Amino acid sequence: MNDKGKSTKEILSRETSGGKRQLLYNSDALRVIEEEFKQWQKAALTERDRKNWGEKTRTVLGSDIRKELLYTPLSNPNFDYLEDLGNPGQSPFTRGIHPNMYRGKKFTIRQLTGFGSPEQTNQRIKFMLDHGATGLNVLFDLPTIQMYDSDDPFSEGQVGMSGVSVDSVEDMDLIFKDIPLDEVTISIVTHYPSNTAILFPMFLVLAEERGIPWDRLKGSVQNDVTLEELVRSGSEYIPPKDCFRIQSDNIEFISSNLPKWNFITLNGYNLREFGTSPITEMAVAIANGIETIEEMIKRGYTVDSFASRIAFFWSIGNDFFEEVARLRAVRRLWYKIMKYRFKAKNQRSMWMRCHVQTSGVSLIQQEPLNNIVRSAYHALAAVLGGVQSLHVDSFDEAYSVPTEQAALLSLRTQQIIQDETGITDVADPLGGSFYIESLTNEFEKRILDEIDEIERKGGYVTAIETGMLYNKITGYFLDQQRDIENGKVKVVAYNAHKSDGEPPPIDVFRYPEGIEETQKKKVTKLRKRRDNHKVKRALSSLMEACRNGENIVPYCVECARVRCTEGELFKVFKEAYGMWRPPAIR
Amino acid sequence: MERKIKILLSKLGLDVHNRGIITVAKYLKDAGMEVIYIGNALPKNIIGTAIQEAVDVIGVSSLGGAHQTLGSLLIDEARNEGMWEKTVFLIGGVFPPGDIEGLKKTGFDWVFTPGATRDEIVSIVEKLVSLKRKRANKV
Repeated sequence: MNDKGKSTKEILSRETSGGKRQLLYNSDALRVIEEEFKQWQKAALTERDRKNWGEKTRTVLGSDIRKELLYTPLSNPNFDYLEDLGNPGQSPFTRGIHPNMYRGKKFTIRQLTGFGSPEQTNQRIKFMLDHGATGLNVLFDLPTIQMYDSDDPFSEGQVGMSGVSVDSVEDMDLIFKDIPLDEVTISIVTHYPSNTAILFPMFLVLAEERGIPWDRLKGSVQNDVTLEELVRSGSEYIPPKDCFRIQSDNIEFISSNLPKWNFITLNGYNLREFGTSPITEMAVAIANGIETIEEMIKRGYTVDSFASRIAFFWSIGNDFFEEVARLRAVRRLWYKIMKYRFKAKNQRSMWMRCHVQTSGVSLIQQEPLNNIVRSAYHALAAVLGGVQSLHVDSFDEAYSVPTEQAALLSLRTQQIIQDETGITDVADPLGGSFYIESLTNEFEKRILDEIDEIERKGGYVTAIETGMLYNKITGYFLDQQRDIENGKVKVVAYNAHKSDGEPPPIDVFRYPEGIEETQKKKVTKLRKRRDNHKVKRALSSLMEACRNGENIVPYCVECARVRCTEGELFKVFKEAYGMWRPPAIR
Repeated sequence: MERKIKILLSKLGLDVHNRGIITVAKYLKDAGMEVIYIGNALPKNIIGTAIQEAVDVIGVSSLGGAHQTLGSLLIDEARNEGMWEKTVFLIGGVFPPGDIEGLKKTGFDWVFTPGATRDEIVSIVEKLVSLKRKRANKV
């Protein structure tokens, strides 16, 4: 809701109606087409096809939009090319944010990397860069994500799993050994606002100590409340409103100090993978975007001074055309919100720039090689949808983190799309398809409807606090699970076309041993070696800032400088903000 | 009439993926069992809560790779507290194929992998509980 109590949907409907539309199809032609169409339906189709004209197809993580047997100009009679699509690089950016799309800049090949010790991750990063990856995407282990040190009792048995272990600046240094920080774009997958405020300052201090000015760094953090408070399973949560405050502190600090850094990646991906519809995924991310922009305006910033650094992260799943259409839909919707709701002037503020990852939860254990095909289709939909950067999941991820061979295959999948298929030659090649355009319209409408629902229930943060979003999401995935179990949603080699006999053995990644001991020793030594007076002072200044409402990030940077560990900072947050019980365990 | 089955569900350690266990909790509740879901916890806390609540079943979920280390800690803790024989232990999640036998050897009564259906889960829990109860009555 804006300050006059109007919802985003109301504002858009007022601002975008009434203008004269340049209709692409003339009414005489449409009349003839309609007549012919009706006759064709009667004469050429069977009774059954006519009855099931609009079929509710069911796909893994798909929507419940009914798909008609055929789409024609009649599906979208008010089509206005310039108003609804425009050329690429022109508003409303349905066809893409750049005029020459992939001819100008290919999508960035950005594969997630991270496991075990910082040294091992450093080697895998170099391996990926040597084989043509054009960006880095560093993923942390469970204790690091959940903000416990390697020697915390909670970390036992989990150090180095699912990602790389980081306790302090010194581990950051090892991860990025020999990597020129100002030459590659680096995505640091700090999922939550809290761990962004802790880990990103460690990266900044590393740059500082290597003599690289912060304003030369390019990359992104995630920094998203959705992940910390709605999607994450954890044992300790700070309240959503405080988490939102940290998210805003991160944005304020980064936008003031690192002009080329994407300070928030509005994350639909993990929400979708948690099990939500393709519509809710985007509605929740945009609702957070809207509330975030309002907060920044309250803090005294003009929308164009920061909005161009807002980025998005989507999950691309099985329903091929839905995935293409909704990427186009959300690009147009974001443009309208920025232009009409927030009155942005700078075109870049209106760009929905996104990284996507192919859907991991859509991959299954049965006949894992089939996952290569699934991920390739996901990737194809992403590229046809005009994304800026891409991660392709590996076929063995239903078992463990990828082996080197599987990670290479994901990289090659992207390179094959870029260099062999010819898909990147033409901007928005599916634009104008009767089906795609109708589906794009439908997605835009439904995403906006769900944003409206969130705003009417008190807004994004409130919808998390009350459990409204949690209930909506669990409702979707419980239904979906039922439909997979009863076979309405088909999954090949699982509930359809099952094969008999023993599956061939799969070569699965094994975590290297001994990481936990090494990391524990390292952090124990660090605690002895550092100046603990300085540590204490830095932590109590941070506590003070948390309590008095100042931006906390400069204090987190100071903590990183004096070698505070991650767990020490999280402890301060927990003490300062108190604890919150999420709906899952209420 | 048989006593209502009481079950404690938990995420094992710090693992962040909870869709599976939330789904299982719903299935078991709908099947008439009393379900306590405590979110993420360490083996010690899980066993402590289980003793306090006098549950028949402990079900843990792990998709983050720590199933072997934390799984054996959980069973060790249960043995130390003398409750392993009396309680059904279940684990579900994402495991490399070779680890399933290992988890059974460690002391889990059943290992659920992705794809386990509602009917399977409910009937296996019922069967295992009734086996344990019978055995307990004999002693």
